[in-house]
Amino acid sequence: MTRYLLQRLISLIPTLLGVTVVIFLLLRLIPGDPAVAMLGEHAAQENVERIRAQFGLNRPLFLDPAALENNDFAGFFDSQYLRFLYRLGQGDLGNSIHRRIPIADELKQRFPATVELSLFAMALAVAIGIPAGIVSAARRNSIWDGISMVGSLIGVSMPIFWLGLMLIMLFAVLLNWFPIGGRLDHDTKLTVITNFFLIDSLITANLPALWDTLKHLIMPAIALATIPMAIIARMTRSSMLEVLHADYIRTAHAKGLSERAVLIQHALKNAFLPVITIIGLQTGILLAGAILTETIFAWPGIGKWVYDAILGRDYPVVQGGTFLIALVFVLVNLLVDLSYAYLDPRIHYD
Amino acid sequence: MRKKFSWLILVAMILTLLPVGVTAAPPQQDGGTAYTIQADDWLSKLADKEYGDPLAYPAIVYYTNLKAAADDSFNEIDNPDLVEVGWVIYLPSNDEATAFLTDTGSVAGGTFIFGRGGDSVQLDPAIVTDGESFRVTGQCLEPLYQYEPGSTKPIPALATKCTANENSTEWTCALRQGVKFHDGTPFNADAVLFNFDRWKFTDNPYHFASQVFEYYEYMWFGFDDDSIISSVEKVDDYTVKFVLKEPLAPFLANLAMDIFAISSPAAIEKYGENYGLPEAGCVGTGPFKFVEWVEGDHITVAANKDYWGGPPTIDEIVFRVIPDDSARFLALKSGDIHGLEQATAEDIAAAEADPNLYVKARPALNTAYLAFHYKIKELQDPNVRKAIAHAINRQGLTKNFFGAYGEVATNFLPPLVWGHNEAIPGWTYDPELSKKLLADAGYPDGLSEVTIAEDIMDAEGNVVYKAGDKMPLKLYYLPITRFYHPSPKEIGEAQAADLTRAGINVQLELAGDWPTYLGLRRNGLLVGLYQLGWGGDNGDPDNFLNYFFGGLSSADAVKEPDPREGFYANQEVARLLYQAAINPDQAERQAIYEKVEQLLYDDTARLWMAHNNTPLLFSKKISGYVPQPVGADYFEGVVIAK
Repeated sequence: MTRYLLQRLISLIPTLLGVTVVIFLLLRLIPGDPAVAMLGEHAAQENVERIRAQFGLNRPLFLDPAALENNDFAGFFDSQYLRFLYRLGQGDLGNSIHRRIPIADELKQRFPATVELSLFAMALAVAIGIPAGIVSAARRNSIWDGISMVGSLIGVSMPIFWLGLMLIMLFAVLLNWFPIGGRLDHDTKLTVITNFFLIDSLITANLPALWDTLKHLIMPAIALATIPMAIIARMTRSSMLEVLHADYIRTAHAKGLSERAVLIQHALKNAFLPVITIIGLQTGILLAGAILTETIFAWPGIGKWVYDAILGRDYPVVQGGTFLIALVFVLVNLLVDLSYAYLDPRIHYD
Repeated sequence: MRKKFSWLILVAMILTLLPVGVTAAPPQQDGGTAYTIQADDWLSKLADKEYGDPLAYPAIVYYTNLKAAADDSFNEIDNPDLVEVGWVIYLPSNDEATAFLTDTGSVAGGTFIFGRGGDSVQLDPAIVTDGESFRVTGQCLEPLYQYEPGSTKPIPALATKCTANENSTEWTCALRQGVKFHDGTPFNADAVLFNFDRWKFTDNPYHFASQVFEYYEYMWFGFDDDSIISSVEKVDDYTVKFVLKEPLAPFLANLAMDIFAISSPAAIEKYGENYGLPEAGCVGTGPFKFVEWVEGDHITVAANKDYWGGPPTIDEIVFRVIPDDSARFLALKSGDIHGLEQATAEDIAAAEADPNLYVKARPALNTAYLAFHYKIKELQDPNVRKAIAHAINRQGLTKNFFGAYGEVATNFLPPLVWGHNEAIPGWTYDPELSKKLLADAGYPDGLSEVTIAEDIMDAEGNVVYKAGDKMPLKLYYLPITRFYHPSPKEIGEAQAADLTRAGINVQLELAGDWPTYLGLRRNGLLVGLYQLGWGGDNGDPDNFLNYFFGGLSSADAVKEPDPREGFYANQEVARLLYQAAINPDQAERQAIYEKVEQLLYDDTARLWMAHNNTPLLFSKKISGYVPQPVGADYFEGVVIAK
């Protein structure tokens, strides 16, 4: 197991290196200059040149053969990509071109916001999706099956921006139950420690802040959860149906086990492998794909931040943000792989 | 007078502390009088006269609307800022006013929440260019001059007066005395020198390498020895002298920009490179003090009770980020925010119809235009340009796409900027005239293909379009909505349809996203007609005209065709603009700019489309908000009715 883990971790290095090249190259394939984007209609020639020099944008992308001709080896390697990689190796994501502050500082606030929302949404999706899938499979073709499958079809098909605005319209404007957006009311006081507001309000025993955080979380989490919830429900159902026809289920029934015991202990555990794979992938997608939800609910996460950075050609922010998302994506999937061994004892990692 | 009213507020506060039953609905006994609005009346003035406090005017609004509901002879007040001569309103008695204010709580104070689409980049205005940063820094920092509320006229702020010497190369500014920064340190000549030295000298310890100071470079022509400001000297503790290399006509207008607001030197020394970031905020002398910044969420500033101009009426402003236009409007409807900028046309219409909301337009300091690329042979002919100008129904387009808040442009300078030439009629919509002009120019069958007159190169010097190449005439539309230009694609389609009617066929072209578009424009690669616009930085005509059509470094310099401006070059215009830029006499300058506008119009140098008065949406509880054509809006007079 340890060896497998080590192997997997080592194999992460080339994966992530590949990720850096792809992010770096794709970004520079888009025409448009960060300095021009920053200065807008004003862009005067000297300004643009100076900003480009300041952020090293006048350096070549990968290597500088011209420097080699002058026997300048340091200059040969002094390229935009290698500078980025060198800093990354030291754990430094660089500075934002627009804000000129370390990206790490901003990520410290924004990443927890996205993770908190995504995990809360995923918890919601799992808590509803799995039971719905089990019920559908166990009571196949019943009214419950119909309701949950039609419901999940609607869930998958509903555009988030539309659903989000409808939720706001109903629950915030008409009923006034929940706030329209943001993470916390501007007059709610909370001592921020981890930047996960649920955790922070719990460890500081700040009940008003906890309540306020939950009120702010619920609508964006519902909007974000609909698609994974529907996918999980459908995946659980089909996977369960497959397992329910297996011989060992018949044996379990024959042993006289209760319906519940058969479903939960025997069927579900075995049907869970594909479901957990989907959960892992979807968690990654939620982390990276919460842009619409974050925009509509004014959620200060990384989705909207990276998106704006792409429009503004703030290369370091896009590189840093995307790299972090990629890293988490890869790690979540590693966790999923490791969980297989627990779920299915036949799987060994040596 | 103020004292007399303060006991009313005291009573009001005591009564609000009593159980609910005591503070019932305002009694509606008569005792007040009907009043007909005269010229030069406004509600707070009447409230001041009647009750000794201008802030009591919501009582007039409340009782007038109550009367109007039952009696047609009274007019309803939709917007407290808009009462018309001849309207009949109701002035409640002193008792009624007290009862109303008691019930609603004191009208002074409260938190004003403003919704906006994006967060501030930084709160050190010297190193940013975005309006969302200035919106906040304008509340806590003040420049030596500022713009008169609702206009572009520079008026004294931290300076009490700046006077120029005879040839306008030296400006001596007397500074306001007894003013303190929010951190308690005094504002004086040393503070002014500290700020200007920091911006100007690249080797100043607080001119950090990571910071760009692009606007200093842009407005004052460079850093160090390049800058037109050769020195800023301390005459005494409350007098500074600016020595310029040559006269600079828009000196005061530049000085009044939010960018050149004075920060506390102690704060910059304390926070260093982090000054302006959430941990430090902005530390100045303004009417509001920085409180907190939760990134991507909100910024809070609180009233500066010691403000030299008197404390603001409200306690706090919260600037909230709600990126989605629709969600932001819903937040206004639900009462989560009190005001917002940037709304869709549908939401503006909805706000106009909503009894709880109203729309206020920001006076336009911007111009949307359609530019010509002058390396196209056909477009070099003024008759062809004129044909295009007369083919486009600018009135119709402005009405349909800019809505009630747009004005058809006849000049490059918007009407509120002096130098705007009233005498220019603007191009009429006349497709028949267009056809005739085209025929005169040698295109009796219309125009759809054009010829490249000279090689057009990219930034690296590669030829992208060769002289003699034939290509369809393109119309590039903006890839995003700008504050001066709504619905670019739809407007582009309408422009193309109008042109077709006059026999000019254009191919609509999307040239990539915003940075790409800007890059192509900069390098002169939007080869055809292209949409763009401009928003003024300091309200001075120089900032509009000289930037685009001038830029000469001396009176006898030759105007080179600038790729950024589609290779347009007009020697006479450029020479006049140079003269205006160094002439300290405003009347003479005005005459020059009017002449320049006439020359540009006669030449059909560019097709001015419209000026956009951008609408702001407010809850009716809010009054006293002054949108500025340039610089940060004024929040000092905002009143929140309960």
